[in-house]
Amino acid sequence: MLTCRDVGQLLQDYVEGALEAPVRQRLDEHLADCPGCLAFIKTYKHTIAISKDLRCKDIPPELQRKLRSFIKDKLGQPDA
Amino acid sequence: MQTTDDARLVERLKARDDAALETLISHYEGKVFGLALRVTGNRPDAEEVLQDVFWRVLQHIDSFRGESKLSSWIYRITANTALEKVRKRPKTRDLPLAEELGPAMTEDGRIAEPVMDWTRLPHDELEQKELAQRLEEAIAQLPPDYRTVFVLRDIEGLSTEEGAEVLDLSVAALKTRLHRARLFLRKQLTDYVSARHPALNPPNPGRPDAHMS
Ligand SMILES: [Zn+2]
Repeated sequence: MLTCRDVGQLLQDYVEGALEAPVRQRLDEHLADCPGCLAFIKTYKHTIAISKDLRCKDIPPELQRKLRSFIKDKLGQPDA
Repeated sequence: MQTTDDARLVERLKARDDAALETLISHYEGKVFGLALRVTGNRPDAEEVLQDVFWRVLQHIDSFRGESKLSSWIYRITANTALEKVRKRPKTRDLPLAEELGPAMTEDGRIAEPVMDWTRLPHDELEQKELAQRLEEAIAQLPPDYRTVFVLRDIEGLSTEEGAEVLDLSVAALKTRLHRARLFLRKQLTDYVSARHPALNPPNPGRPDAHMS
């Protein structure tokens, strides 16, 4: 039987799907019977999930313009 | 290894093709700025990093041999440029040990305290925003090396292998830092939700064997 401490050590590989099937199964058995580990794993995974939403896709238009004119200026310099 | 798209873009950049420059910038400006903003933690520094990175990329494009993906190379330049800025500042404290970031354990390795499950939060858009805001603040509290790993892997979505390549770390070292960063952030969010929604706190676990020695 895995202890909660074992679960803590396997946690990262578990959420990344990197555990061998038999180990994974033993961990699932532990989770079925341990609300503490289950809540811990769920909140660990949820932290990763909401982090994904923080990705910024576009930068502000004035910054886009600034960047392009900076690069153009640099490229226009004779020592560039 | 670089992709054929990468190779074509790099060839055009080496030929000083203006359209290629615009393709490069529009494809990478969001990624570079996103990483720079989170690693430096402030907008003026991030803007400088953004400009420096594209300038460095253009200066060194002739020596880019395609041994790594173009994206890895640009992420690497971004991480290094941003970390250079941060390292000039007073040193931040290190993260507590991983064990202290998880629940208290009994001597025989069982969880010794109730663990809150707040994954059904947020209930509404406002709470969603607040949680995201709290997460941003917690990311800013991470030591820079951990923050960089976390942003590349969990926000920008790089694979473990690519993240390790970008930061010149072993896969094992990257995984350790990533795990501790996640544990720290999970704990910060848990503490936040627990203070805001005390009703969500679980009762003490009543499993009879939890008290037996
Ligand atoms: Zn457990």
